Amino acid sequence: MELLVCIKQVPDDSVEISLDPVSKTPALQGVTPVVNAFDTYALEMAARLKEAHGGEITVVSIGGEDVKNSLKNCLAVGADNAYLVKEEAAFSHDPAGIAKTLKKAIGEIEKDRGKPFDLIFCGKESTDYASSQVGLFLGEESSLPVAANVISVEPVEGGIKLKQETEEGYRVMEAALPCVVTIQKPNYDPRYPTIKSKMAARKKEITELSPIENLESQFKVLQILEPPKRAAGVKIKGDNIQEAVTEAMSVMTKARIF
Amino acid sequence: MAYLISEEAQDLLQDVKNFCEKEVKEPCKEFDVSGEWPKEIYEKAFEQGYQALEVPEEYGGPGLSRVDVAALIEQMAIADAGFATTISASGLALKPVLIAGSEAQKERVCELVLEGGLGAFCLTEPGAGSDAGAGKTTAVKDGDSYVLNGRKCFITNGGVAAFYCVTAMTDKTKGVKGMSMFLIEAGTPGLSTGKEENKMGIRTSNTCDVVLEDVRIPASNLIGEEGKGFSIAMKTLDQARTWMGCIAAGIAQRGIDEAISYGKERIQFGNPVIKNQGLQFKVADMQIKTETARQMVAHALTRMDLGLTYTMESAIAKCYASDIAMEVASEAIQIFGGYGYSREYPVEKLLRDAKIFQIFEGTNEIQRIVIANNIIGR
Amino acid sequence: MSVSGGKNIMVYVETVSQSPVSGALEVLSKAHKLAADRGEKVIAVLIGMDLEEAARTSILAGADQAIMVKRETYDMEVFGEVLTKLAEKYRPSLILSAGTLAGKDIMPMVACRLHTGCAVDVMDITETDGQLVFTCPVYGGTVLNQLIITGTPAIGVVRSGAFAKELISERTGEILEEKVETEDTNRLKIIDVVKEMAEAVNLEEAEVIVSGGRGMGSLENFKLVEQLAEACHGVVGATRPAIEAEWVPRSHQVGQSGKIVAPKLYIACGISGATQHVSGMIGSGYIVAINKDEDAPVFDIADVGIVGDAVKVIPLLIEEIKRISSR
Repeated sequence: MELLVCIKQVPDDSVEISLDPVSKTPALQGVTPVVNAFDTYALEMAARLKEAHGGEITVVSIGGEDVKNSLKNCLAVGADNAYLVKEEAAFSHDPAGIAKTLKKAIGEIEKDRGKPFDLIFCGKESTDYASSQVGLFLGEESSLPVAANVISVEPVEGGIKLKQETEEGYRVMEAALPCVVTIQKPNYDPRYPTIKSKMAARKKEITELSPIENLESQFKVLQILEPPKRAAGVKIKGDNIQEAVTEAMSVMTKARIF
Repeated sequence: MAYLISEEAQDLLQDVKNFCEKEVKEPCKEFDVSGEWPKEIYEKAFEQGYQALEVPEEYGGPGLSRVDVAALIEQMAIADAGFATTISASGLALKPVLIAGSEAQKERVCELVLEGGLGAFCLTEPGAGSDAGAGKTTAVKDGDSYVLNGRKCFITNGGVAAFYCVTAMTDKTKGVKGMSMFLIEAGTPGLSTGKEENKMGIRTSNTCDVVLEDVRIPASNLIGEEGKGFSIAMKTLDQARTWMGCIAAGIAQRGIDEAISYGKERIQFGNPVIKNQGLQFKVADMQIKTETARQMVAHALTRMDLGLTYTMESAIAKCYASDIAMEVASEAIQIFGGYGYSREYPVEKLLRDAKIFQIFEGTNEIQRIVIANNIIGR
Repeated sequence: MSVSGGKNIMVYVETVSQSPVSGALEVLSKAHKLAADRGEKVIAVLIGMDLEEAARTSILAGADQAIMVKRETYDMEVFGEVLTKLAEKYRPSLILSAGTLAGKDIMPMVACRLHTGCAVDVMDITETDGQLVFTCPVYGGTVLNQLIITGTPAIGVVRSGAFAKELISERTGEILEEKVETEDTNRLKIIDVVKEMAEAVNLEEAEVIVSGGRGMGSLENFKLVEQLAEACHGVVGATRPAIEAEWVPRSHQVGQSGKIVAPKLYIACGISGATQHVSGMIGSGYIVAINKDEDAPVFDIADVGIVGDAVKVIPLLIEEIKRISSR
C-alpha cells in the first residue's frame, strides 16, 4: 500500500508554554521543536501496516527549513520519502488553509512518484493548537472518505477496515481506498530512531514543494491571554496523617463539601 | 556547556536523551533497589545500537568520533550510571581485539556486538587487583588449542556477555611478560559465572566472578602474541579510563541538574533556596568541576582520535572526573537537605554510583602513579 | 454555497438513547443568553428517532425552536449534510455543538461545506462590538486565544462544563419535523459498534470525581481511588500515566487528551498536577489534593491539600467521610 502521513512540527509538549510578559505572545524560544505526538502515532501505525503488508511510506509537512529536521526524524522511524511544502508562515493558516495546501501537495507528490496514495494519515489533533480539523477538512476538500479518532487500520478486500474510538468503545468501519484517517493513540508506543536508522535518514534528500499564495484565514486572533490563576487554598502537612486528615475534613465540612 | 560535537551527533544526542529519559531514568530506579539486571531495558538499548557505538565504521559501526560518542555516553550516565557502565564495558572488551586482534577476531567481535551482544574484559583476580601481574589464571597450549583455568573477579558484564577477553599466564616464570590475552565466546564449555556482587552503586550493571575450568579454545583465539597480554591490557585500560571519566562527569552533571531544579522549587523563608548566594556558590563550584572534568575527557579522546599519546591525559580524566563526581554528588545531597539523604529522592544514588569510579579500571592511586611516572620519569 | 448575513443561533443537540447529552444542554443555555442579547432565536437540531422528549428538554434548556430530523443510525457524513442543509435553509449567524467526539467530527465538516471557520474547545463566547469572540485554549491550556471567525456562520464546538445548563420548566417553544434529503454516499460503512464499558463513564456529568495518578504506585493501590470514589458517590478519573500503566481504562482519563470536567468536588490522589491534567479539571468547584511531595504543583490550585502518601491518607479519609455521612 502507498501510505502518506501528514506531519506537523510543534513545540515540545512536555514543556509548559507561558505567555511572554513583554510581547504578549507564547514564549516559544528555547522550546525544542518535535513531531506532533499524534502524528508520531500515525507514522507508527503506518510503519506497522507497511511491515505487515508492504508498500512505502511518504511523509509531508508544511513549514520552514527547520521542519526538515523533524522530517528526518520521521525518515528514521519508518518513512521512506519526505516532502516539505516550503511555507514560513504555515502557523498563520487555519485548518482549511492547511488542508488546501496538503491537497495540492498530495497531487504534486503523486505526480512526482507516479502513483497515487491509498491511505492518508493525520494525527487526530496537534498538541499545540489542537483544532482536530485538518484531517477532516482534507477529506472533505478531496472528496475522500474520512474517519477521525482511528485506533487501528487493516487492509481488507476492496479497501480497509478500521476501528474508530467512541465514548463507550469503538466502531468498526469499512471504507474504499483512497481514504483519510486521523489517528488517536493506539495501545502501543512509537518506536525510537536507532543510531543506524538516524544516520541513514540524515543522508536522505527532502523534496521541496511550493505553497499556495495568499491563503485567507477564517480566524482573527484578537488577544492572547493567560488563563486566570486559581488561588491555592490550605495545605495541611504534619507527621501524623490521622491529624492531617481530620484537619482537612474540618476545612471541607466548613466549606459544606461534606 | 557540553562536548563540542558534530551536527549528526547533536541529532543523535537528542534521540539518546529522549530514549534515556523515558526508558532508562525512571525504570532504572526500581532496579537500583532490587539489584536485578534490567534485561528489558538493555534489550531496548541494544535495538537502538548503543552497545555498538565504539564499533569502527569499517566493521559496521556508526563512524562517530570518540568525542561524539562521549556526548552520547554522558547522556546515558545522566540517566543511570550503571546503565552507561554496562554499555561502556562492552566497548572496553572490544578494545583488546581492536588493539591487537586478527582481522577475523575483529570481524567476529564486532559482529557479536552489532547483533546486540555485550563484551566483558577479564583481568582482575582475587589476588591480583592493582597488581595485575600476580594473576594465577593459566593458559596451557595443547596442540591446536589452549586450555584455560582460573578465576576472574569483579567482572562487569561477567554474567551477561557474549564474549570475554581474558588474560592468562602462558609462562609463569616470566611474570607480566608471560601473560597473554584470549578471546572466549559465551557458551564455551568450562566457562561459568560465579558469585554476583551485591554492590553499593551502579546496581543496574552486572558484576560477577568468571570461572574458567578446563576451558578449551582454538589457538587462533589468542589475541596478539603470547606474552603480550599485559601490554594489551594496559593499552586497553589506557583508553578505557577516559570513558570512565566520561560516565563520572555524567553523574556529576545529573547532580547539578537535580540540585538546580530542586533548589528552584524548594521554598524556605519565602524564597526558593537557590536564591541564597551560599547555594549559588555551591552550584557554581559543582559546575566548574564538572565542566573541567568533561573537557579533560574530551581532550584525552581528541588525542586518541588524532593518534597522539594519551596515557597521562586519560589517567587525569578518569582520576579527576571520579574525584569530582564524589564531591558534586555530595554537594547535591547537601542542597537537597534532609530529602537528599532519603532514598525517595534521586541524589543519594549519585554518591553510591560515583564511588566505584575512583576504584575500578585502576584505582585513583594507580592513576596518580601513572601521571607521576609520565611527568617525573621512572 | 455560503451562508452570509445570517441571524439566529443553531445548536446541534446530540442524543444518546433518545436523551440530549449534557454538553448540548449547556450549549443551549448559553445560546439562549447570547440570542436574548442579540434579539435572536435559538434553533435546536436533533437527528435520530423518537426524539420528541429530547426536543422538549431542548426547549427547557433554552431553544425557541426544536427541529427533529429522522435518521435510523448515526452516520457522520449524513448528519453533517443534514446540518449543512438546515444551515443553508435557516441561515443562522452561529452554529454550536457540544465538544463530544461526534461534535468534533461533524462540525468541521459543516464548516468546510459552508466555507467558514470552526472554533473548537470553546471555553467562552462573548460579544464585543457586535462580534462574537471565542476563547479557546492552546498549548495544552496554558495560553488562551480570543478570536473571531470572519466567515458566516461562525461555528463553535464547546468544551464540556464551560457553561452551566439551566432547565426552566416554564419555557415553551415550537417543535417541528424537517425532512432533509441527503445523499447516501456510504463512503464509510459502519460494520459493528462495540461497547467496551459496561456503562458509559460519565465524567462530564459527575458531581464528584476522584482521580488517581502515577503517585498511586500500583494497580492494587489504585483500588483505593475507586473505594474513595464509592464513598463519595463519585466517578473514578485518572491521569495519563495511570491510564498507560493500565490501572484503569482510557475512558476515565481527565485532561487535555481525555475528558474536560467541571464537577463540584474533585479529589486528586497521587497526582502531581501537570498542565495536561490540570487543564482538564481546573474548572472544578472545589479541589482536594493528596500528594506526598509537598512541592507538587497540584497544591497551587487545590482548595485543600494534604501532604502525605495517598495510599495511607485515603483509607483514613474514607473512614472520616463514612463517619460524617452516617450522622
